[in-house]
Amino acid sequence: MSKEHMPEVRPVKSGSFFNNPRNRALIYQAILLFGLGFFFYTIVSNALSNMEARGIKSGFGFLFTTSGFDILMSLVDYSATDTYGRTFLVGLLNTILVSIIGIFLATIVGFLMGVAYFSPNWLIKRLSIVYVETFRNIPLLLQVFFWYFAVLAALPDVRDSISFGESVFLNVRGLFFPEIIDEAGSGFVYAALAAAIVAIIVLRKWAHKRQDETGDQFPVFLTSIGILIGLPLLALIVSGNPFHLEYPEASRFNIRGGISVIPELMALTLALTVYTGAFIAEAVRAGVQSVPHGQTEAARSIGLKESRIMSLIVVPQAMRVIVPLLNSEYQSLVKNSTLATAIGYPDLFTVFVGTSLNQTGQAIEIVFMTMAVYFVINMTISFLMNRVNDSVALAERK
Amino acid sequence: MREFQALPAQPAPVDTVGPIGWMKTNLFSTPINAVVSISIFAFLVYVLPDTIDWLFFSANWVGSTQDVCSAEGAGDGACWVFVSAWMQQFIYGSYPDPELWRVNAALVALGLVIAAPYLLPKHFRNTVGVPLFLLFPFIGAAFLDGRIFGLEYVSTDFWGGFSLNIFLAAASIIIAFPLSFLWALGRRSDMPFVRSVCVILIEFFRGVPVLALFFMGSVMLPLFFPEGVTIDKLLRVWIVLILFMSGYMAEVFRGGFQAIPQGQYEAADSLGLSYWQKTLLIIFPQVIKVSMPNILATFVMLFKNTTFLLIIGIFEILNTTQTALTNSNWLEGHAAEGYIFVGLVFWCCCFGMSMISSNIEKKLDTSHRS
Amino acid sequence: MSVEQQGQPLSAEDDVIIIKELNKWYGSFHVLKDINLNVKRGEKIVICGPSGSGKSTMIRCINRLEEFQRGSLIVNGVEMIEDVKNIEAIRREVGMVFQHFNLFPHLTILENLTLGPIWVQKKPKEEAEATAMKYLERVKIPDQANKFPGQLSGGQQQRVAIARSLCMSPQIMLFDEPTSALDPEMIKEVLDVMVELADEGMTMLCVTHEMGFAKKVADRVIFMDGGEIVEQNTPHEFFDNPETDRLQLFLSQILEH
Repeated sequence: MSKEHMPEVRPVKSGSFFNNPRNRALIYQAILLFGLGFFFYTIVSNALSNMEARGIKSGFGFLFTTSGFDILMSLVDYSATDTYGRTFLVGLLNTILVSIIGIFLATIVGFLMGVAYFSPNWLIKRLSIVYVETFRNIPLLLQVFFWYFAVLAALPDVRDSISFGESVFLNVRGLFFPEIIDEAGSGFVYAALAAAIVAIIVLRKWAHKRQDETGDQFPVFLTSIGILIGLPLLALIVSGNPFHLEYPEASRFNIRGGISVIPELMALTLALTVYTGAFIAEAVRAGVQSVPHGQTEAARSIGLKESRIMSLIVVPQAMRVIVPLLNSEYQSLVKNSTLATAIGYPDLFTVFVGTSLNQTGQAIEIVFMTMAVYFVINMTISFLMNRVNDSVALAERK
Repeated sequence: MREFQALPAQPAPVDTVGPIGWMKTNLFSTPINAVVSISIFAFLVYVLPDTIDWLFFSANWVGSTQDVCSAEGAGDGACWVFVSAWMQQFIYGSYPDPELWRVNAALVALGLVIAAPYLLPKHFRNTVGVPLFLLFPFIGAAFLDGRIFGLEYVSTDFWGGFSLNIFLAAASIIIAFPLSFLWALGRRSDMPFVRSVCVILIEFFRGVPVLALFFMGSVMLPLFFPEGVTIDKLLRVWIVLILFMSGYMAEVFRGGFQAIPQGQYEAADSLGLSYWQKTLLIIFPQVIKVSMPNILATFVMLFKNTTFLLIIGIFEILNTTQTALTNSNWLEGHAAEGYIFVGLVFWCCCFGMSMISSNIEKKLDTSHRS
Repeated sequence: MSVEQQGQPLSAEDDVIIIKELNKWYGSFHVLKDINLNVKRGEKIVICGPSGSGKSTMIRCINRLEEFQRGSLIVNGVEMIEDVKNIEAIRREVGMVFQHFNLFPHLTILENLTLGPIWVQKKPKEEAEATAMKYLERVKIPDQANKFPGQLSGGQQQRVAIARSLCMSPQIMLFDEPTSALDPEMIKEVLDVMVELADEGMTMLCVTHEMGFAKKVADRVIFMDGGEIVEQNTPHEFFDNPETDRLQLFLSQILEH
């Protein structure tokens, strides 16, 4: 149809000024703008005079002054003589650490439990239901306390550590396991690992192409695993094992060496994993249930194997529902990691909104900086998950 | 004409029905399933008797001090005496003994206000039920405070326990209802400035950890008021909870709005209803109805999150438990008992609500309009 | 009333709808092109045309469910302008029946019918209910008054929708494909009500493909295509002597089976 006329002006004449919807809209918005302006003017001027009265400094100068307190655990070098800026970095890294571990484990637990719901085995199905209904209906903070004060605190002292083959120790001070230390020549093994990954990608492409052209299927999965394990193993043997393990050594009162996981981190990770895992399991269940039964029947009717029906028909459709839910669960996990402060795990919230705020009194700067960090982390998660979502979304009419 | 005669039904093959058939299909359908079933069963047999023994048979039920549990000949199971000794604090916090009836009365009133829509005849629902619902938080708070009603004054410092969790959650969602509905309306508005303000509000309160909001309420909010004005700590917490809840509810309502067909707006327009008549009479009741399962789910989240208030020193139930655990008369480590009790209380409430929510969802699914 | 004073004088005493050079765009898509149409009081008009021809859009302009960008529209003496009061005044005079009924699912049938009279016309509840029952009897379902829309069949729902519009005592009734969402066996009961309404002298604009209905009640049949009024005529002439090849083709397509 023709495009030759374009609308020129807004319609016709206007009635009374206030009855025109456009004018009304302008008036309402002007009122809102004025109200908000007044609101912000009031709180800002109040805040300024209050801060002056209490002798609180403003601005971000404090980030460059010495903090003067120690932090239980840090991924980078840190001591009490470092600045608040460094404190911020330590807290941020600890937050990211617990978030990544939590998301990783919760996803695994959640998917396992979500899929278990569809097991033909009655016991496994019950297990999944009991798990989900128990843990998502109990407050997360209570679960953190339970792990920290009731379970981990009940672990034996250092000298009675529970040990697994004299290399992994579990006691009231935390979990200790050996650290892998590189020696000369280790680069060769890493190179072999990288080569294996490249080889797998090439293999998959080749197998896909071959199936497209000839219809023959290639056991890609098994071959991939073979390459992934075999190639680095070969390199390891050829280069004469350029690694050694540093075992934690237990003395009477302490354990030195190796990698240690403090009980605060363990409790928080456990609680976040179990709690979020229950929600993810629920999401997975909802996703699989959202695929109409007719889809499975149609797939059977064209003769697909049951395992293929899952991977080719059900899962891709279920992911459309699961991914957006995962997105919000991951974001809640990151936000919930602030509960660290209740048991003293030194995440961003504990060291910054907790200790630093107490010492400097600069509430506004510190609270807003922290909020901004969580916002940025969550936007990043959202961005990544939306990319995933785009790749699983169905093209729909409209 | 030939008359149709139904064939008589025959019994099913024996191995497909009854307990044996059930076990065959549900537990031992494949060798792997059989192995899994047996190992789970073995694990349960290994764990359950001890657990049940600890929870019930060897547990200490009566008494009032921890000596009962540590005494010679006492059971070596759970010490439920810890829970029963602290029960009043768990429920009412430090609210003074002679005034406890006020908390009970307020709890009953809350129950009645929530049940009102189902109890009242239809034409009282909007004129009596709704105002009562919206006013309850204020009346209830004034009643617990006591001064306005000429009762003995009880400072909010003494409020606490599980009743406080309930009151805070209920009072917050009630006020959040109208507020979040306005935000959701604003988000759909044609007016760009109104829309962006609402989007920022909603995304802010959803995107920030609730703990950060609580700190904002406790350390930043006092700075925003003129000098000399102090706002009660619990009131600040309430405000924060309302805003936090509104952010989430606005998002729930947005989903509800999307479920209302365009035709409903057009039909309301064609009758000549004004914007607010259309919104309140036609759209709002339908949005509430379709959003109900999600509103309940959001409420469950809020309810669980009231335990976070422990961190800023509000004496809700978990904080009371922590205090009891560090009490010098109870230092023998009853953390497990305390947490199991609190967990059970929350679990019952939250599981109950999620049952209701999924029932409503099922009803909506089947009775949905054309 | 001030609203009436703002309206322009009628060009012809009996023209209850006057549409002049009405143009509408969706973005840059020209949906309605120079529509001119006068409707006399009591006239029954049937509008047909292929889907996407703009026929629904045109009648939805009459009660301002759709905005238009150019042209003028006068309904019952009130000019459609950018004014909330004018729009509400026009909507009070114009009833509309939709393809998908659009009954309010959370209200009973009786509440559906009394909502407009009570909130828009500010009538007392008893009076509104009496009127509602009267119209329910006319559409032959008084016994369903306390049920909810979801409990009624499609045909019953559509009859309720007609009664809901009539309760506002409109001057003009618009029908937007009222029978196309109905099962075949229910079409007749709705058409019967519409025929009865026509016999009582209601001004009606009806978008429909029920050609039997058109032949029976229409004073004028309009054929629209590509956003234009292509042809209009008395039903007799319209069906027997279509002037354009476009209409001929359309008629052959819908009458073929």
